[in-house]
Formats: sequence, structure tokens, C-alpha cells
Amino acid sequence: MIIYIAGVLIIAGLFFFLVGSIGMIRLPDFYSRLHSAGIIDTMGLLLSMSGLALLILNEFNLGNFLSAIKIILIIVFIFLTSPTATHAIVDAGIRAGLKPWEKKQ
Amino acid sequence: MKILGTITILLCGGLLIFFTSDFPDFGDPKSPASIHLSPYFIEHTLEDTAVPNIVTSVLADYRSYDTMFETTVILTAGLACFLLLRIPTKEVTRRYYLHEPTGVTLRFDGDRYPKGSNVFKRIDSNWVPYDIIINFTCRLLIHFIQIFALYVVAHGHYSPGGGFQGGVVIGASIILFAISSNLRASIKRLGEKAAAIFTATGVFIYAGTGALCMVIGEHFLNYSFLAPLLGTDRIMARSHGIFIVEIGVAVAVMAVMIWIYYNLSSAGKQDEGL
Repeated sequence: MIIYIAGVLIIAGLFFFLVGSIGMIRLPDFYSRLHSAGIIDTMGLLLSMSGLALLILNEFNLGNFLSAIKIILIIVFIFLTSPTATHAIVDAGIRAGLKPWEKKQ
Repeated sequence: MKILGTITILLCGGLLIFFTSDFPDFGDPKSPASIHLSPYFIEHTLEDTAVPNIVTSVLADYRSYDTMFETTVILTAGLACFLLLRIPTKEVTRRYYLHEPTGVTLRFDGDRYPKGSNVFKRIDSNWVPYDIIINFTCRLLIHFIQIFALYVVAHGHYSPGGGFQGGVVIGASIILFAISSNLRASIKRLGEKAAAIFTATGVFIYAGTGALCMVIGEHFLNYSFLAPLLGTDRIMARSHGIFIVEIGVAVAVMAVMIWIYYNLSSAGKQDEGL
């Protein structure tokens, strides 16, 4: 049972990875591309890493439990740092005077 | 003088490139290192040094002489950056101060700036308002980064890690602090003199451990002669000796990282900067 939940989570995470990478190529300007890069770092990584943590907890012992805790710590720290990094890059872009993209009439 | 230097470099480089043709191929299974050394390290590391991580024991025990001079090279790099970049400016021409109650920024020429004032706060000439999100996240994470760095240093015996990596992580945490607030706040906590002294201390810990082995027993950097001092048997003494040496490397690398960053980011003035 737990293995199916893990599989669903990993596949959902991979879907967000796909969406994010398509967005990084297809979206028109710096800010919107950064937005899709943010999707990869937060949602895709959260879902796929949670799936991996569940997968390793499928066979429960102390070593696997420690590995799962390490994975959860990775999630926590990436969840703290990645939006901050995105924020800092956007901030630098605005301070440098980069105008957001607008649709031409 | 420049021509002489160029000729010397070309000559040395040419000789080096010429004689690399005598080396065994990369990854050649019949080279002397693969036939004699690698099997010895793989088979005897655990019984010789009680360290499961072969890389650490080769780095800090079997070839510790080499690593000692790597640490010296790092010290030299820090000194070279210091000597090339540092500009000791005694007279300060222009400084900017923010009057905190009103938010007005004043420019002071010469040395007529307000010393030890409560309402005036010094700001850099290219100052931008601090971003509270970045500042808070960096302050939150620096503790975890430093604890992780200590883990990397101490756990080098069992997993990837060791002095160089841990030292770089500690240095990076202090550089992160300097980036998220500013250079002066970072210099106030770990100054230039402290960085220089830490660099020398790191190399001294390494070389001093070796010299202590020489004073007690026989060979330079043969840690098993530290056994009576550490109160263990000779094999565990080598493991502990590796750990002492790793601490020395970590201190040296950390201080050099910070020192080079101070000089590079403020163009050698260390008065204002990132």
C-alpha cells in the first residue's frame, strides 16, 4: 500500500519537474522563467523527496528511518532556501531596472 | 624582468608537458600505483589506522606529508591575496551616515564623522535597504550550516568529508553572513587579524602534531607514537592523530576563505563592501 502512495508522489513530483522545465524554456521573460524554476525547487522536490522517504520507510528499521529523516531535513532546508534565493534574484533584477514583460498589443 | 619570468614559465611548463609522456595512462591497471599501492591501502587501512574511510586515511596518514604542504599552499594563497590586494587606508575621505530617527543620510568628508553616536548609523556608499527575508533566512540557516560543518569535520573518518570540506563550509557560512548583512558586521565578529592568526594556527596544529611525534618517538607525522599521550593503543592513536590533523586543516581553510573574501569583496580596503 505504502509503496503505491510513494509511487504516486514521485510521479506527481516528476510532473512538476516537467512543467517547470518546459516553463523555463517557453515562458517569455526573466521573472516568469524564475517563477517556473521556483516550481521545480519547491513543489517538484517536495513531492518526489517525500515519495522517496516513504519508499525507504517501506522496510522499517533504524538505518532506513535515519535515511528518511535525512531526506526530510533536505526538504525542510530546500523549502527555506530556494524561495529565498528566487526572491533575492528577483529583487536584484528589479533593482537593476529590468522591466517585466508585457504582451504587445 | 617580465621577459625573464615568461621564459622561466615557458621552460618549466614545456619540461612538465614533455615529461608527462612518460607517465602511465590514466586508469592504467598495470601502472605501479594500481599494482602495489592501491591493493595495500584497500587491504590494510582498517588494521593499520582503524579508519573505515580509505580516502581519509590515505590523505591524512599514509600521505600526510603531502597534505601538510597542501595546507601550506592554502596559507600561501591567503598571504598572496593579502599582499597583492590589501591597501591600508588610514585617512578616510568620505563616509555616509544614516540619521535613524529621521531617515536622512548625511555625507561627512574628512574625519569629522560622529564617533560612538546612538542616532547615527554608518552605511556603505552603495547602500541599499536590507531585505528582511534574505536577512532572516540567512541568520536562521547559518547555525545549521556551522553545525553541519562540524559534523563534516568530525565524521571524515566514516563518510565523505574531512578538514578541507568542513573548513570550506564554515568559511562559506561566515561569507553568507557578510553577504546577507554587510562586510563591516562580519569583520566586527571575525576580524582580519583573527583570520590571519587562525590561518597560521591551523598550519601550526598540523606541523606541530608531526613535530610532537618526532619529539616523542621516531618519524615526523607517525601518529602511533602519540599513543601514551592520548591514552590509547597504537592503532587508535593513528585514528586520533588523523582527527587532530583534520582540525588543523579545517581551521586553516576556514580562515583563508574568510580572509580572501574580505580582501576581494572590499577591493583591499576592508572599509566597506558586500
